[in-house]
This record gives sequence, C-alpha cells and structure tokens, in this order.
Amino acid sequence: MGANLKEVRGRITSVKSTMQITKAMKMVSASKLRRATDRIVQIRPYANQLNSVLANIVSNLQGDYNLELAQVRDVKKVLIVLVTSDKGLCGGFNANVLKLAKNLIKDKYADLENNNGIELLYIGKKGIEGFRTYKVDNNTSYVNTLGKLEFENSSLIAQDIITLFKKGTYDRVEVVYNMFKNAAVQIPTAEQFLPVQTNIQDENVSPSDYIFEPGKEEILETLVPNILKTQFFRFLLDSVASEHGARMTAMDKATDNANELLKELNIVYNRVRQAAITTELSEIVSGAAALSAE
Amino acid sequence: MLLDILTPTGKVYSGEVDAVQLPGLDGLFQILNNHAPLIAALSEGVVKVQTKNEKQTFNIKTGIVEVFKNKISVLTEGVA
Repeated sequence: MGANLKEVRGRITSVKSTMQITKAMKMVSASKLRRATDRIVQIRPYANQLNSVLANIVSNLQGDYNLELAQVRDVKKVLIVLVTSDKGLCGGFNANVLKLAKNLIKDKYADLENNNGIELLYIGKKGIEGFRTYKVDNNTSYVNTLGKLEFENSSLIAQDIITLFKKGTYDRVEVVYNMFKNAAVQIPTAEQFLPVQTNIQDENVSPSDYIFEPGKEEILETLVPNILKTQFFRFLLDSVASEHGARMTAMDKATDNANELLKELNIVYNRVRQAAITTELSEIVSGAAALSAE
Repeated sequence: MLLDILTPTGKVYSGEVDAVQLPGLDGLFQILNNHAPLIAALSEGVVKVQTKNEKQTFNIKTGIVEVFKNKISVLTEGVA
C-alpha cells in the first residue's frame, strides 16, 4: 500500500502542474482574444465606408462596367486559401476547417482534383499538416504570419493572389476559414474571394452628382483591390479571433477536467492513506495484545 | 466641416477642420467648406489638415477620399 500512496501523490502533482499550464493558456488566450476582437471592431468603419463608396460609384456608372477582377471565367484552376492556426491545443478549430476544405474539394471540384486543377495556399502551419496525405501539388504556405498579423503582411498576400488571378493563373479563389461569432462559437466558412461578386444593393444610396477624380474606372481600379485587401485582412482577423476563442474554451474545459480528476485522486489518496493507518494501528494493537498475553 | 481619416487599423483623425490638402493622382488639391460631392483616388503623399488653431500633417499611403455634404472621409491603407 505504501508504494501506491506515493504513486497517487505523484499523479496528483502531475495533474496539478498540467492544470497550471491549461489555466495559464486560458488566461493568455482570453487576453489575446480581446485584442483580436478589438481589431475586428476597428476595421469596421473603414470597411463600411469603402463599401459605401463602391456603392456610390456603381450607382453612378451608366451601363456596364468591365472590371477585370469581376471577370467570371471557365474554372480550370482553383486556388483554395486555407486559414488555420500555427499552434494546436485549440479543440476542433483546425479539424473543422480542414474537414470543410476537404469536403469542398470533394463536392465542388471533384473533376478538377483529378486534373491537378486545385492549388492550396496555407496560412498557418496546421493546414500543411492536415493536407500532408493529400495529393495537391505546387503549394504555397505562410507560416507565422498570424502571430504578428498586420494589415501590411496580409495585404501583401492578398496582392499576390490578385496579381495571379489577373494573370490568369487561377480562375477562382476561395478562402476557407473560421468565421468568428463569439468566444465559444466559430463557424467554418468557405467564401469566394475572386472573381468579385457584384451584388451591391444600392437601396440606401442617394444618387448624387459626384465629381470623379480622375475617372470612375480609375477609381474602381484602386478601390476594388483595396476592398479585397480589407476583406482578406478580415478573414485573417476572424480566424485569429476564432483561434483564441477556441483555445480559451478548450483550455477552460481542460482545467475543469483537471479539477474533476484532482477531486477523484484526492479521494483515492485519502482512502489509501486511511487504509495504511488502519493496517498500522491493527498491527500495533495486535502486537500489544501479543505482548500483554505473555 | 468634418474630417475622418480611416485606416484598417482604426481611426487616425476625426474632427472639425477648415481646409484639407490631399495628394490626388494628378496632383495636390484642396477641399474647403461646401465643396461639391467628390470621390477621388489618392496617391501616396502628405495630407495637410488646417483647423482653426493649428496645422497637422499625415503621411498616407494610397487611398480614396469621399466628400459629401461637408463630410470628408479619407480612406487609406495606412498612415506613417
């Protein structure tokens, strides 16, 4: 019984130290989550204003406007941008997007898959790991961009994608990421990034006579990539916020589980200790009885 | 008139101003009170803001400006 007592004590210490780690990770994620959601809030006025300017221009355009980035072509080559995290220990966060991406390939682009028509761009290390067994060639990856996510880095990636789309390397670009709903809920989402979908509702736009400087088309040429970059940045921000939310929830659960385990282990420990004392006592008593009997 | 300078990382400036000088694609231009509605593309350069008491400058990257009913919104990718 003595050895068992030591064993239980050892397990209690190990569970306690694990709990300390999960607790610390939960706290860290909580503060990072707050910062991430703040940034989502900060980008909102900019994004909204950009969209309203776009709506203004479109409502002032007479007839067709031929935007290169809105060109719908025969889909021969698709780029799937897979946004995951660099680090694990965040519950089903990565598994969910990976599953969605795989389903997307299987359901929507099954024939392209056989013709090498799919390329993947990974943002985050977990995506590479998740697709290791998958046969997709010529992939690009960005690791460690999410840790210190800035608009500049994100817009560089977006600019690359836009350029490749313009060149005709890809006919469609989809982004698979975790949309941030709240700390506990992330929605794995697949969104078409390019070509731009031109479904602008110009209901609340007051058509007024704007002066366009230099011209509407030129402004669109700067505006649309800007909007795309902002959108892309939002995808990444959402993913980062989701990651921290998921990690926070996962670590919270882990801490709870550790607490539960600790409670059980303590009971076991006390029981073992009591058993040892009882045996010892009965040994003393029987020893004393043997002595007095002499 | 009201000026907002917005970037993806937040509002850089917001307030009442008398005049704003902006770097347009074809050169500098200035916006004064009661300017006609305008949407213009901006190149990288300096935005000069003139309020009643002081002058302020911002180095902006490329962007867009919208002027509507004495409300100016400068949308830029970043302010250095």
